[in-house]
Formats: sequence, C-alpha cells, structure tokens
Amino acid sequence: MAKKLEQIEADAQEILIAAELIRLGARMQLLEAEVVLSRDRLMKLYKQVRGVSPPKGMLPFSTDWFMSWQPNVHSTLFANFWQQVAETDHRRRLITAYQLYLDTVDAVQIEPVLSITRAWTLLRFLNAELLQLTPCSQCGGHFVTHAYEPAKTFVCGLCHMPSRAGAGQENRKHRLAAAQRSLPVKKNRRRVASAVTG
Amino acid sequence: MPAPDFAEEIRELNLNFLILAQRMAHDNVAAAAVKLGVAEEDLRWLQTLSPAKLVRLAQGAMLVPQFRFDGALLKQLAGDVGRDEAAAQLHALILAQAKPRKSPIVGDDDGEKT
Repeated sequence: MAKKLEQIEADAQEILIAAELIRLGARMQLLEAEVVLSRDRLMKLYKQVRGVSPPKGMLPFSTDWFMSWQPNVHSTLFANFWQQVAETDHRRRLITAYQLYLDTVDAVQIEPVLSITRAWTLLRFLNAELLQLTPCSQCGGHFVTHAYEPAKTFVCGLCHMPSRAGAGQENRKHRLAAAQRSLPVKKNRRRVASAVTG
Repeated sequence: MPAPDFAEEIRELNLNFLILAQRMAHDNVAAAAVKLGVAEEDLRWLQTLSPAKLVRLAQGAMLVPQFRFDGALLKQLAGDVGRDEAAAQLHALILAQAKPRKSPIVGDDDGEKT
C-alpha cells in the first residue's frame, strides 16, 4: 500500500514537471527523454496543456545553429544561467535556467530566440563535448563555441560584432517565441512551480 | 532645518529588499539566488526569519543589500552603448553571469560557515 502511494506521488511529480516543460514549449522528444511517463500519457498531457497535438517530425540536429550570431548570444546567456542554477533535479535545473533566460530577455525587451527544446539540445551538445563554453580573450565572458576552440585567440561575437549582426531581426523573429508569448500562463506556471518546491 | 539623514529611506529600502528576497526565495530558491546574487543558504536562512526580525534587520540606517558587480561591469550595465543597444545590454548581462556569486555569509549556530 505504502509503495503504491509512493508511486502516485512520483507520478504526480513527473506530471507537474512535464506540464511545466510543455508550457515552456517543449517538444515530445524532450519530454520522452526526460520525463518518466508513457508516450500516451505525455501526448494526452500535451493536448490538455496546449490544446493541440504535439508537432511531429525530427528535431534539428546541428551544432551550426548555435554558432550564428544572434542564436549564439541567446544560447550563451542561457548556458550561463544554467551553470549558475544549483538544482539537483536536472529537469528542474533546465526549467529554472530557461525561466531565468525568458525573464532576462523580457526585461531588456528582446524577443526570445532560443526555444526550450533548443536549450535542451544545447545542453546535450555541451554534455557530448560537441560544444563548449570558451572564455572570450577580450571581455572574459563565457561563450558557446565548438569544442576545442583555442581559448587564447577566441574573440566573442559581441566584442567583435559582424557587420550585419542583428540586421533583419524583425523578419527572423521566432514563430515559437510568438506562440509562447500568446499563452497566458505566466502566473499559473509560477504557482505550479512553487507547489512543487514549496 | 535639520540635514536629512535618510534613515527612514534606508530602512524602507532594506525592508523592501528583505521582503522581496523572502518572496522570491519562497517561489524558487535557485532562481532567486541567481537573480539576487545571494547564496542559496543565505536565502534559506532569510526565509526562516519572522517579520519582526526582518524589521529589526532593516533598522540601523545602514544599507543591507550591496553592489554585486565591480566598477567596470557596472559601467557596462549602465549603458556603455556601442553600435547596437540591445546587443550591448546582452553583452553586459552575459559578463554579469561570469562573475562568481557571493559565498554564504550566514553560518551555522556554532559560527561555522555551512
């Protein structure tokens, strides 16, 4: 009996985490990899939270996206937050770091470019040592680069801005970012978060 | 007319900060630690304080919260604007993340740091 109760509690925990990830825009692949719930339950949950079926198809698998100027700045910001968040559950760590990233770009009135699924992919790339954080030789900030970037000569994209950096930002605004913004969930999200941690 | 000593303002600012820190810590300690630049252990300790203790902590005409960054970074955060204002701001924010956070200040009851 006691075991069953534990099981239920663990399930509830997973559901809360999954719901929060979905609200932040996570794709099914992320959920399936990180949450201990069956695919069916995740699909159902996704529909309940978002009101639509989860998008199909593969996730982009390329480290190049993180190297272009604007995504690099955003992923660097996220990676730095992630490093700072001390949280034992790595899903909570992802959620908290991503939340910090969203809050920050929100505060300086920039559209988020990095989706939570991309953020998660970034962490996997960092883990697999395809990418790394390299300190810029000029400003000292830690930036996302390819693995084995020679640190001595590395200059970050913000110290040495490419001439067209940031141009055409309006057109490139991420569709996902817009979708996230339209979801009136900010208050809810917090309540859910505090219900778990508190 | 007596010169202002700003004691009341400082007290209010202290109290505002302490209450905000308590609320943020209650919401999510890990996020609050990053945003406030305060060690998690200290936030946990702050959470246990009663309102009466917060008020006492806020008194004394001395500011409790402090600058967490060095001068160069503060200047950059204040708007060392280059070609692109948004980029300059993000740059400063990324550099802010690279700074080490304060280690815990509040020790255990036996005086040792946790």
